[in-house]
Amino acid sequence: MLDSALILELAIMFIKVFVVGSVLFALPIPLTWLERKVAGHIQVRLGPFRVGPHGVLQPLADMIKMLLKEDIVPEKADKWLFRLAPIMTLVPTFTVFVAIPFGDKVRIPFTGREVALYISDMNVAVLYILAISGLGIYGIIFGGWASNSKYALLGGLRSAAQMISYEVAMSFAVIGVVMLSNSLSLVEIVKSQSGGFLHWNFFYLPVGPLWFIIFIIAGFAETNRIPFDMPEDEGSLGAGYHVEYSGMRFAYYMLAEYVAMVTVSVLAVIFFFGGWNPPFNLPFHLTGETAMFVNGGWNAEFLNLLAAVIPLFWFAGKVAVFIYSFMWIRFTLPRYRYDQLMRIGWRVLIPLSMVNILVTGFMRI
Amino acid sequence: MSAGKYMEKKRECGIRDIFRRTFFIDFIKGLMVTLRYNLSKSVTVRYPDTEKWVPFPRYRGVHTLNRDEKGRELCVACELCARACPTKCITVVPMEDDTGRGIADRVAKVWKVDLVRCLFCGYCEDACPTFALRLGKDYERACTDVSCALLDREELLGPAEVPWSFDGGVVVGARFERGKGGIKVAADLSDEKSPWFERQ
Amino acid sequence: MERLFFLIFASVAVVSALCVVLFRNPVRSALALMLCLLQVACVFVLLRSPFLAVVQVFVYVGAVMVLFLFVVMILDIRQAELEAFFPPRNRWLMYAIIPVITFEFLLVILGTSFEGFGPGAGGETKVEVIGRALFTEYLLPFEVVSVLLLVAMVGAIVMAKKRWD
Ligand code: SF4
Ligand code: SF4
Repeated sequence: MLDSALILELAIMFIKVFVVGSVLFALPIPLTWLERKVAGHIQVRLGPFRVGPHGVLQPLADMIKMLLKEDIVPEKADKWLFRLAPIMTLVPTFTVFVAIPFGDKVRIPFTGREVALYISDMNVAVLYILAISGLGIYGIIFGGWASNSKYALLGGLRSAAQMISYEVAMSFAVIGVVMLSNSLSLVEIVKSQSGGFLHWNFFYLPVGPLWFIIFIIAGFAETNRIPFDMPEDEGSLGAGYHVEYSGMRFAYYMLAEYVAMVTVSVLAVIFFFGGWNPPFNLPFHLTGETAMFVNGGWNAEFLNLLAAVIPLFWFAGKVAVFIYSFMWIRFTLPRYRYDQLMRIGWRVLIPLSMVNILVTGFMRI
Repeated sequence: MSAGKYMEKKRECGIRDIFRRTFFIDFIKGLMVTLRYNLSKSVTVRYPDTEKWVPFPRYRGVHTLNRDEKGRELCVACELCARACPTKCITVVPMEDDTGRGIADRVAKVWKVDLVRCLFCGYCEDACPTFALRLGKDYERACTDVSCALLDREELLGPAEVPWSFDGGVVVGARFERGKGGIKVAADLSDEKSPWFERQ
Repeated sequence: MERLFFLIFASVAVVSALCVVLFRNPVRSALALMLCLLQVACVFVLLRSPFLAVVQVFVYVGAVMVLFLFVVMILDIRQAELEAFFPPRNRWLMYAIIPVITFEFLLVILGTSFEGFGPGAGGETKVEVIGRALFTEYLLPFEVVSVLLLVAMVGAIVMAKKRWD
C-alpha cells in the first residue's frame, strides 16, 4: 500500500501544509507592524520607528516582550477552559486555509510533475470554510466565560450574538457567489471568473457589488474588526473577552484576529475579484505550451514555472489591497453601538440578501 | 424613542439623500479624508533620536542663575524668591562678600532648589528684583535617583545648554547619546528645522 | 486504516457524549457536546459524505451550539436556580421517561439490519446529486420540513411578541 508514489504525494502534502502554516504564523508579524504604521500615518504620526529601520523589528521586540510576560490565570477562572480557549480560536482560523487555493497547478521544472498551489480542492470548500471559520468564535466565547470577569463575559456574549446574526448574512452572500459561479469548489469559482476583470463576480451587475458589500460587512463583523469590534470594545468593556489574558495567550488571540483578517481578505478576492486571475488579458499568453512552442528546450520549463507563479503575485496583490482597506477602515470609522450592530445585521443585511438571492436567481435562469 | 424623534427631524428623503445612502457617499468621503492624511507628511518631532524642540523664551523650565555682562552674579540673596515660592522649595542663605563676586556686597552662600517639589509656576522668577533667577529652557529632568533633582548654586550658574541669546520656539537637530552618566539628547542649535505646526 | 480512524472518532464521540451528561458544569457539557458533534462529522467524512459532514459542523457546531452557549451563559448555573425550573419532586418523571426512550432506541437499533449501510459505492456523494435528489425525489418531504420550520419560526416570533407587549 505504501508505494513510492503515495509517499511522494504525502511528502508534497506535508511540504504544502508546512509552507502555508509557517506563512500564516509569520504573517501577523509584518501585519502588526503595517497596522501600526498605517494607524500612525493616518493620524499624522510616524508609528513605530525605533527598533530597526522604520521600526520593522518592532513586532519581534513585542514578541519577546509577550514571551517574557507572566502568564496570569485568574484565581477564580475556570483554569482548564481558560488555557484552552486561545488555542480554540487559533486552530480553526488556521484550518480554514486547508481549503483555500492560492493558485492553479504548477509544473515543476524537469520532473513533469504537477503540483497544485492549494492543499486540497474539496467540492464543498465554500461550506467548509464557512463552517470552520465559524468555530473560531468558541475560543472567544469560552475565553470570555472562563475568565470569570464581567467584562470578559459580556465580550463573549456579544461576540456570540454578533456571530449568529452575521453568519446568516455571510452565508447568504456566499450562496450568492455560488449561484454566480455554479460551484461550491473555490478552484472552480476562481476559474469561472477568468478572462478579464469584467468576468469577475464583483462586476456581475447589478447583484455582484451588492453581494460584495454584504459579504464584506459580514466579514468585518465576523472578524471583530472596527467598526464591529463589540466583543473587545475598549470604551465600555476594557478589552472585552481577552481582558484577563496576558503574555502568549493574549498573543494567540491577536494572531487569530490577524489570520481571520487575512482569511476574509483572501475570501473576498476569491469570491469577487477573480482570485489569481489577472484583471485583463495579457496580449501574449505565457502558458507552458506557447513557451514550449516558441523556443522549446529547457528554458521553456522555467517560463512555464514563471507563468504559473505570476498569478500568485496577482493574488497576493489583491489580498494586500484588502488588508490595507481593513486597516484603513479601522482608522476611519468609529465603533457602532451594539443595538445598531444588531439592526444592521437583521434589518438591513438579511432582507437585502434575500431580495438579492431572488434577483440573482432570476438573472441566472 | 426620543432619539428616534430627533432623527425624524433631521432625516431628508430627497433623491440626493437616497443616492448618498446607496453609494455610501459619506463613508467614501471619510475614507478619502483618512487617505489624504495617510499620504501627507507626519508631524512627529523625532525626539530624542534626531530632533529636539527648543522652547520659547518665556518657557518655564529648570531654574538658571545669571550673571551680568561683567560676569558678576546678579543674585543679591534677598530671599524674595524663597518667600514667593508656594512650595517652599528654594533655600537661600546670604553672606557678605565684597570681592566683586556679586553685583552688591551681599551674595548667596547657599542657593538651592528642590525640583521634586517645584511646580514650575514661575513665582520665584517674578519675585526676583535683579533678574538673577530665570526659569530656563531645560526640560529633560528624568533620572534614576532624587539627587539630580537637588540643584545648587554652582550648577545653576553654569552655562546653560541653550544660551539666552538663542530665541527658541524651533525644532533643531539633535543626537541621542547613551553615556555612563545616563542618556542625553545633545541639541545642535545651528541645525534648525521646521516646527511641527508647519509640517503638514 | 479507515477502521482505525473510525474507532478513534467513534470512541471519542461516545466518551464526549457521556461527558455531556456527566459534567456538572453546563459550559463544559456544551464543550463536550461540541466535540461529540465534531466527531460525528468526522464519521460522516469516513462515510464519503463530506457535504453532510460540513453541514453538520456548520449548522450544529457553528450555529446551534453558539445559541446553546449563549443561553447557558446567561442562565444562572447554580444548583438552587436550576431547581426552580426542575424541582426534585418532579424527578420521577425523568426516571420514567429515560427507560422508555432507551428501550425504544435499542429496539430501533437492534431491529435494523445494517446491510446496505456504509460508504456509498460511487465514491463521495456530490452536492449536485444531493441537490437533485432533494428537489425531485424528496421534494414533498423537503417542502414539508421547510413549512414546519416556518411554522416554528412564526410561533417563536408570536411568543416573543406576546411577552414584549
Ligand atoms: S517655580 Fe514656583 S515652585 Fe518652583 S521654585 Fe519657583 S516659585 Fe517655587
Ligand atoms: S535669586 Fe533673585 S530673588 Fe532669589 S535671592 Fe537671588 S536676587 Fe533674591
